[in-house]
Amino acid sequence: MLAVLAFLLLPGACARKPAPAVAKTPAAAKTPVAPPPLRYEVRLGKVTFTHYCQTCHGESGAGDGFNAFNLDPHPRDLSDPEFQKKKSDAELADAIQRGGAGVGLSALMPPWGHTLSAGQIDELVLYLRTLPALRKPAS
Amino acid sequence: MPLRRLFAASSVLFLLVLAISPAKNAFRSYRSLQRQFRKLGSSRAHSLKAAQGYEARPVAIQQIWLRDFENRVDRCTTCHLGVADPLMAGAPRPFDLHPGTPHTPGGFDRFGCTSCHGGQGLATTQGDAHGSTADAGPPMTPPVFIESGCGRCHLSESVDGAPVLSRGRTLIARAGCYACHAVRGQDAFRSEAPPLATLPVKTGGEWVKRWLKDPKSIDPNATMPNFHLTDQAIDELSHFLFAAQVPKELASRIETAGAEPAGSSANGKKLVSESRCITCHTVEGKGKGTAPELSKIASTASRGWLLAFLREPQAFNPRTPMPRYHFTETESRDVVAYLEDEFRDFDAPKGILEPLRVNQTLAENGRKLFRLYGCFSCHDPAGSGSEKFGPELDGIGDKRAQSLDFGRRTDLVRTLPAWLAAKLESPRSFADGLKMPSYGFSADDSRAVTTALLALGAQSVPDRYRYAPPRKPALLPGGPVGSLIQSYRCLSCHEIGDRGADVSTAPLTYEGSKVKRDWLVDYLMLSYTLRPILEERMPVLKMPREDATQLADALQNFYLDPSIPEDPFAARPASDADPVEGQRLYVGLGCRGCHILGSSGGYYGPPLTEAGKRLKPGWTYAWLKGPQRWRADVRCPDYGLSDTDALRLTAYLETLGPAASSAKPESAARGVK
Repeated sequence: MLAVLAFLLLPGACARKPAPAVAKTPAAAKTPVAPPPLRYEVRLGKVTFTHYCQTCHGESGAGDGFNAFNLDPHPRDLSDPEFQKKKSDAELADAIQRGGAGVGLSALMPPWGHTLSAGQIDELVLYLRTLPALRKPAS
Repeated sequence: MPLRRLFAASSVLFLLVLAISPAKNAFRSYRSLQRQFRKLGSSRAHSLKAAQGYEARPVAIQQIWLRDFENRVDRCTTCHLGVADPLMAGAPRPFDLHPGTPHTPGGFDRFGCTSCHGGQGLATTQGDAHGSTADAGPPMTPPVFIESGCGRCHLSESVDGAPVLSRGRTLIARAGCYACHAVRGQDAFRSEAPPLATLPVKTGGEWVKRWLKDPKSIDPNATMPNFHLTDQAIDELSHFLFAAQVPKELASRIETAGAEPAGSSANGKKLVSESRCITCHTVEGKGKGTAPELSKIASTASRGWLLAFLREPQAFNPRTPMPRYHFTETESRDVVAYLEDEFRDFDAPKGILEPLRVNQTLAENGRKLFRLYGCFSCHDPAGSGSEKFGPELDGIGDKRAQSLDFGRRTDLVRTLPAWLAAKLESPRSFADGLKMPSYGFSADDSRAVTTALLALGAQSVPDRYRYAPPRKPALLPGGPVGSLIQSYRCLSCHEIGDRGADVSTAPLTYEGSKVKRDWLVDYLMLSYTLRPILEERMPVLKMPREDATQLADALQNFYLDPSIPEDPFAARPASDADPVEGQRLYVGLGCRGCHILGSSGGYYGPPLTEAGKRLKPGWTYAWLKGPQRWRADVRCPDYGLSDTDALRLTAYLETLGPAASSAKPESAARGVK
């Protein structure tokens, strides 16, 4: 009896349904005009940038925030691809954490290590890395 | 023999029937998905051991069981196998890693999946779980409304990390939805709509008719919605409004004020600009506030009403956020003269402010309309009884699409969010005879409001999951000081504990520990701009010295924070070298990047030129030790200063400003009664 039952169940247990197509083309691929939506961590980084950095470094990171003209030396152009190439993630995070004075540059860039968490600084670096791509072509 | 054969056949048949259910289970798609996941995992694994771990995963239903959260069982992870697996970043659905949110990763075991996403947690087929099959329970929340999930547990109006939900809740409160619709926790809501008793002596029949036709076309800041009234209904309602009994005392005030001679428009212009009206009002759309647009105010209200209102706004509307300015009789006349010269609608017909001759029959019909459209909900909440005019909104987020009346809207997808969005956009389009007015929400606004509405569940979540930010006690004195705070409407801009509004960056909760008394008295009498980059500025309220002194003393005595030391130098007396060292720190830390001192410096923080005159050293010290403690989102960085350095910097800032020459300016200020 059991053998019959096992026989009946066997094909069921061994069955393999063809896999449904899982890989879908992302919706963004259809409309190449819109930039792809940022990852959540990068979005958090953008929020931090807008809140703390934009006043001096500017919306696009070009160093043209409304408070920039008060500062000598001027804030760094963070969207410059050359500058970004030279600096590692760790170096950027270090400069944010310890400020200009901490890395031997202008004290007008304050240290943010006591204000922002290490996680927030990492998110910020992730966002900074997206800036060169958003840069407006020089006119 | 035939019997035995029959028995054998029926046994086989019986076994076949028995096998149907296990066979069906064996063909469930999650099994093949789990086998795919094994392969995917072992191909992505970094070590042989990890790969073997993926290969050894049993094919079985996975579930998160939340015993203390309505006994929820979420089996979503049966197919969504990689939600908490960092190796699955970028993997194809349904194996991909869940994007990071405040609750993920790390919160899966506490919150499950359906608490945010909705849908049917118990189901193990895609159609049933996502709610896309016809007879399934409520479906998943579409991703654009995902923040509605946050709102089930987070009950405050503003929720960190959920901007769409917060915006939706703000819009609901501002539109006054709670005046007609009951919602848990909003029983105390009162609309800011003005009482209508003085309307017949405030404005004219033509203006009222134009307003009723479309309030937002007269004033873009209007919160009153468009009721799409017919011309006849508008006429009847106007007659009803002009039939109101004007309180005698107010009527005579307006009449006397109207008979006063005209003032000097030139002086009025000066007064209006220093009064900072655009902190709350807009003028031709300029200004961030939401108080009535002023550019056509003289074609809205009569001169007598403007004068009488300006002199004591709260007598006309006890709930107005408008403070009472202490203009002299002449000054208020000058202000109104300027408004009459410049702030009028030059295209309006001449008689726009002519009162309406009341026809009693029309007025009686208007009275019925006033009740029919629920106008009393906002304009006369006391007279409406305890019943709300509209249906209650609790549970609207859990409504089944099948239970909604789509009426004429055959164009809509039959889902709850689509119904809500359409209801907000054109409320009367579903059937004839509906009464809900339209609010002119933009697409973004209606998405935000829909998100907030979807958060209104039928039941409140268990206490353990409910989150409201900790209450901050608010000390609101009675007596003369209480009436001053009321009359100057400090709470329209400043916070005290969790009361009041966050228009000003300076909460009054610990103002007494922060600023020096003498400075405060001067500032209240003649306020000036502390932070030039802000558009919202303290108005010059023309406060008489007695009022300013009384308020300053109250703030100095009661609005204190025990963690701010009265004298930070108590344990370690300041030395002569401290201010010098402090100045060195000021330069070395780069404070000038944001603060103006003397003639140079950044344009971001408040100028520090008179810091020693304005700020108490205890406050300066407490601020320097951690600015974010006092205002969580403040941009002033925490420099992690040592106690000694913070004291040195405090000692330096104490020396700034003309009145800070004495060594202990504090004691002098404290002695004043």
